[in-house]
Amino acid sequence: MKRIGLALAGLLSLAACGPAAPPAAQSDSASGIERTADGKPDLNGIWQALVPANWDIRPHEARPAPLAMLGASGAEPPSLGIVDGGEIPYLPAALEQQRQNYANRFELDPERKCFMPGIPRATYMPQPFQLFQSGDNISIVYQFANAVRPIYMKDPGPAPTSFWMGWSVGRWEGDTLVVEVTNQKPETWLDRAGNFHSGELRVEERYTLMGPNHLLYEATLEDPKVFSRPWKISLPLYRRLEANAELLEFKCVPFAEEVLYGPLRKGYAGEKP
Amino acid sequence: MRSIALSSWCYGVLFSGLAAAQAPAPSAPADYSPPRLASGKPDLQGLWSNALLTPLERPADLADKPFLTEEEAREYARKRVETTNRDNRQGDPGADVLLAYNDFWWDSGNSVVKTLRTSLIVDPPNGRVPELTEAAKQRLAAQPPFSADGPERQPLNARCIYYATAGPPMTPGAYNNNYQLVQTDDHVLIVNEMVHETRIIPLDGRPFPPEEIRQWRGSSRGHWEGDTLVVETRNRRADTPFRGSSENMRLTERFTRVADDVLLYEFTVDDPDTFTQPWTVQITSSRVQDELMYEYACHEGNKAMYGILGGARLEERRAADAAK
Repeated sequence: MKRIGLALAGLLSLAACGPAAPPAAQSDSASGIERTADGKPDLNGIWQALVPANWDIRPHEARPAPLAMLGASGAEPPSLGIVDGGEIPYLPAALEQQRQNYANRFELDPERKCFMPGIPRATYMPQPFQLFQSGDNISIVYQFANAVRPIYMKDPGPAPTSFWMGWSVGRWEGDTLVVEVTNQKPETWLDRAGNFHSGELRVEERYTLMGPNHLLYEATLEDPKVFSRPWKISLPLYRRLEANAELLEFKCVPFAEEVLYGPLRKGYAGEKP
Repeated sequence: MRSIALSSWCYGVLFSGLAAAQAPAPSAPADYSPPRLASGKPDLQGLWSNALLTPLERPADLADKPFLTEEEAREYARKRVETTNRDNRQGDPGADVLLAYNDFWWDSGNSVVKTLRTSLIVDPPNGRVPELTEAAKQRLAAQPPFSADGPERQPLNARCIYYATAGPPMTPGAYNNNYQLVQTDDHVLIVNEMVHETRIIPLDGRPFPPEEIRQWRGSSRGHWEGDTLVVETRNRRADTPFRGSSENMRLTERFTRVADDVLLYEFTVDDPDTFTQPWTVQITSSRVQDELMYEYACHEGNKAMYGILGGARLEERRAADAAK
């Protein structure tokens, strides 16, 4: 009955208002940002980070490739990092864990296995993502591993389990989209350098348009099992302006199968798994 | 929620061109107008389900019966639910992990397509996939069989790369039949529950990528024809066939909201390299209310691949030991 009532209400409102006029995309001349029909900042588009934070979110020098045969093309680009203050406040045991992760990073990094990267790492991988915003329907699709997450703008209640891309609940604070991300898998990392978190990680993301083609991304990370206090990252995201820009498939499972299953291949002659 | 949901209103007007006088139908609001976005386009957004018991092809015993009556449909659905209930299995418990895959894991729904057709295929009129061309028969016969020699010899779904039910085209499957649609002025996003597939469909009239850009799921472009969203897909890889299709398949999908809780989803497969004629399917996607679609991390949780390959290697070692 509820459904019928709603449907009737819909019909009545249509009858009363007539067909809606096509919306003019609104432009805010003061700030230079576009707005959607509901007056919110228009975050739609394909975005990408330029800072090479995926190699290491902390300040780091250039480093050689993990395999000598890759030469300079596989070397790691340097960066001043995206961590406010430069330092991640690890608890002592977690710091030791991070060092071990770093020492074994080429084997352990979940990116190598084509696992969905989690938040915030998905934001600054060296591949674009696309944000879809239509009123309260907001979703983000990441080119890497075809990862995707809905942003729930109405409280969906507690998460029933944990997810590789987390449980994202959003709200607007003025012109900033704020997203609380919880219930992530402890298996994801923050970068290729072994910076990590536990399943208790809470991320507060803030998306703020800086202009028509720049989006400020800020995230506060809180995880009492791993960090001694909340800490923050921030980086600008850049709109992909190519006229033909679109996300393409990066279905990376076939690229990871040798790493994951190679030792189980028929006739495998290497070390026993 | 094991009740059997059938259409309580009419598709007579809508389907009249296809179903002629046979369509069983009370009367639909012929003037149904879908909710609209600010742009004036129909609002197709939300969570939809393709969980349907109706088979793609018309079963042989219904060869002369393209439609069910509502009562027949209820009985058909009841029997299908009963016979496919995995909890009723008899037989070898060793066949699937001590019968662990009980009915909890399966979700084919409990209702038939709202057109009450006996097949999802509406054209050709016999409700069957058209005959394959000779070239296609030879091509398919020459494909190497699946094996457990290595991961790349396993089917694409076992590798979590591609499930035919997520498509495109989308078709009802045994589970994970939901899809979420997000719609902006110049894009449509379809997220399938199955393998968290995403499909981004530009509506801005841009051309397809060059022919050499081949993707597992092809490239899609959309446009509006009246209140129907039309999506064309091409540039698929040769190794993601749909019912044996080739890399030259051209797929046309049509999405029309025909009721608040029904999205009519039709598609036509045009592939002269494979089928002797184009063929068309009609599905009614049902609105999912008050539920959410969760992440299906197929690859991340793919322990089965270790079991499949590791089991085969164990069998080889045992056979070698026995031969000594």
